[in-house]
Amino acid sequence: MIEVQSLVKEFPKKNGEKFRAVDEVSFSAAHGEIVCLLGVNGAGKTTTMRVLSTVFKPNGGSARIEGYDTVSQGDMVRRNLGFLSGDTGLYMRLTAREFITYFGRLYSVEDQLIKTRMDEMATLLDMHDFLDKKMEFLSSGMKQKTSIVRSIIHDPPVMIFDEPTAGLDILTARNIISFVRNCRENGKCVLFSTHIMREAERLADRIVMIHNGRVLAQGTLQGMRTETGFEDLDDIFVHYVKQTGTELENHEF
Amino acid sequence: MNFKKAIIVFRKEILEMLRDKRTLFATIVLPVILYPLIFIGTSSIMSRQADIIEKRGATIALLDSLSHESPDAKELYETVLQTLSETPYVTTLEDPPHLEMLYEEKEILAVVSISDTLSAAGVTSYRADVRFDASGDQGRMLFEKLQKSLGQVNSIILAKRLSEKGLEEEYIHPLTVRQFDSSSTEKKMGSILGMLLPYMMILMLITGAAVVAADLVAGEKERHTLETLLVSSATRSEIVLGKYLTVFCMAMINVVINLISISFSVRYLLSQMGMADQGLHLPIKSFIILLFAMVPMATLFSALLLSISTFSRNMKEARTYEQPIMMVSMLMGMASFIPSMQISNLLSLIPVINISLLFKAILIGEWELSHLLITIGSTLVLDILAIWLTVKLFHTEAVLFRTEDDGSSLKSQRKSKSGFFNTFNGAVYFSLALVALYYLGTKWQMADLVNGLIKTQMYIIVLPVFVILAFLKVKGSEARKLLRVKAPKPKELLLVPLIAVSAAVTVSIVAQLINQVFPFPQDYLEGLGKLFNLDVPIWQMFLVIAVMPGICEELMFRGFLIRFFEKGKFWQPVIISALLFALFHLDPFRFIPVLILGILLGYLSSRSGSIINSMLSHTINNSLALFIGLFAEKSWMKFIVVDAENLRYWVIAPALVILALSLWAFHRVTRENQASLVFEKQAGSSQEE
Repeated sequence: MIEVQSLVKEFPKKNGEKFRAVDEVSFSAAHGEIVCLLGVNGAGKTTTMRVLSTVFKPNGGSARIEGYDTVSQGDMVRRNLGFLSGDTGLYMRLTAREFITYFGRLYSVEDQLIKTRMDEMATLLDMHDFLDKKMEFLSSGMKQKTSIVRSIIHDPPVMIFDEPTAGLDILTARNIISFVRNCRENGKCVLFSTHIMREAERLADRIVMIHNGRVLAQGTLQGMRTETGFEDLDDIFVHYVKQTGTELENHEF
Repeated sequence: MNFKKAIIVFRKEILEMLRDKRTLFATIVLPVILYPLIFIGTSSIMSRQADIIEKRGATIALLDSLSHESPDAKELYETVLQTLSETPYVTTLEDPPHLEMLYEEKEILAVVSISDTLSAAGVTSYRADVRFDASGDQGRMLFEKLQKSLGQVNSIILAKRLSEKGLEEEYIHPLTVRQFDSSSTEKKMGSILGMLLPYMMILMLITGAAVVAADLVAGEKERHTLETLLVSSATRSEIVLGKYLTVFCMAMINVVINLISISFSVRYLLSQMGMADQGLHLPIKSFIILLFAMVPMATLFSALLLSISTFSRNMKEARTYEQPIMMVSMLMGMASFIPSMQISNLLSLIPVINISLLFKAILIGEWELSHLLITIGSTLVLDILAIWLTVKLFHTEAVLFRTEDDGSSLKSQRKSKSGFFNTFNGAVYFSLALVALYYLGTKWQMADLVNGLIKTQMYIIVLPVFVILAFLKVKGSEARKLLRVKAPKPKELLLVPLIAVSAAVTVSIVAQLINQVFPFPQDYLEGLGKLFNLDVPIWQMFLVIAVMPGICEELMFRGFLIRFFEKGKFWQPVIISALLFALFHLDPFRFIPVLILGILLGYLSSRSGSIINSMLSHTINNSLALFIGLFAEKSWMKFIVVDAENLRYWVIAPALVILALSLWAFHRVTRENQASLVFEKQAGSSQEE
């Protein structure tokens, strides 16, 4: 369960002024549901997710994961959270097995349990061939599979995916997408951010549109279609942006 | 804090380090091969040079240039010939033909010519002239051999003559000097190692730790792995602790390997030189104490370098920031090279220098427990500060996720005036001014003190400010706002003289107290005295020493330079500009007094928004010094003044009271200025945008 209430995150600028990256954002996500944060680059998606994962402290409002507050109960939040992003790096001098075990231990998972879960996942994702290879020798697909197992090794009830397919080839991206669906089927609460409209269309149970740090609209795709009269998500997005009167600027999407 | 998690982080980092070939090479392989190469290499080169003569042999010529055929002369010549013939590896030819040609072709390496002279008193003295090529090692070594052999001739003839007269050798050497060295062989060894070893160890410790530290946080940022780690359920303190332990461990491994490698190399060298047989061994016990003394130092640098790594965006940046720390530490580490420098309680407080000197003392075997304890204690205090800083940095989002600078060029900065007033530009501007002062200013002042002072104020201090403002096209009201040229309120103008005089007295007493601890050198005081003995009328001195610096230096430091360091806080730019102001005086003895003065002046102008206040205060301060310098000898000054440099101590009490009261009043009077100051800052910053 993710509950975000009037969340504000500001960054200081060089001249002492403040820049609001996240401005009064509210939404929620339940178990067995994929909620998609949709917005152009720089809309505030990553910042929101970093606040949810306790990396950033909010300047206002609150965020809760499984009922735990991200500020005062950071430790419990991290225990209940799996985090995966597209540009996640790996420790090149470790093997995939060592890497996954390292994070499993940091999450206080018993070594035996780490082994069982890793074996299960490795069979599922067809990883046995490279589990004991150093990661500097792995392909990007193998690396992403390793990251997937790392993010779920402590079996968290909530998963956060920050543009997990960014920069990946189609086949690898498909693996990720099916993994995200798999999470939903296993009853996990999934928050997924992307700037690719098609991805949101295919995956999301509900969509939260973010622009310039604010929520433009949220609801099911069907609801949005009915409300705006557009079929295509691109058109729906542009419609909402124009409605708020904000400049579209030179963003490409 | 869960130590188990810190250990998990630590174990993983060590595993990664051990798999990194570069780190392995720098920390383990390099020291293992470096010392044998240095020690054994140099010694074998040296002994090989000696071998050249012994293997090849050397041919020399002996010339008989004696003018008399006396039995004495004959005896002398025969003895020389005999001794030279007995010199190993040297073949002696008597008066060979084609001598010059053979010498040119280096067939003959030295020519020994025996001659005699008759003094006016009728005594004959003999001489051996040795001609050889001193530019080559071979020639020099041969000469050493010949010198030794020829020296024996003296004692052989002397002994013969004495026995002929039936005298003992004591007859001509009534006093024999023998030396009994009370120092142990360990101590002798220690004094040699004590110079070199501390420096080497500090060097190795820092370089070893720097490589690892840069990789551990800045490297994780660069490889995009840090966020994953932060999201895991290890807390930031646990992560810092794990990484800190890794740096510490690698640094200590480096130290231990270096020490072992040095020990083996020195031991090998000693046995090669045959000194081990004379009971000269390595002070193993001292080495173990050394390792213990190295621990706090390793902890300090681990934390320091880790905080730099945390602050940096990537590894390259981390290595750049590490450079100055490494340079300064290495310079401080050289303390062991200074022969007369010995550790004291005071020096035990200074990091790096304390370790360097303590090592030297330990190796000589003359160390005190108090020095060891103070060194460890003071290092640990700094150490805790550095760890605290790292943890704090780890909790600072702006540091952990610093974005790339836009790196706008000077040209674009000029166009939009955007960001010209940043720390980097400020540092460059100040450095250039400092260089100009050092090379031009001092030269001008040496040539002509009064003119030089005027030229310094005009061309080095004020002119660049206006040139830069013109370049940025800042003029008129905008320039006045930037430089804080604004009329102060009458109340402020009333208070500033009170503050200036009481502060001048207070600072002067502080300077006297510093003088008690670190006495000023005599020629320094004489140079200062020259300022008050200028050959010009008093009103001119007043202008040059008090008014001009008051206006010009305030424009530069409190008007202009301070703007480069403004980042939203009040005290930060004030203190930084005061530090630079103190540096600019190129005078270590007055650094602290000038620093205090600079902070006060910065406060006055920033708080009130008017640079006139600090100009007035600066002028009054300098006038007061001039006044005391001029009239110190007058009897009516005696109740507050000892001499030109020293006030009577009792004046500190009223001065402090007046200073506190007037500052409090100034703070109150300028309270409503704060609102307009904030506005002014925003105006300044939007102009910077």
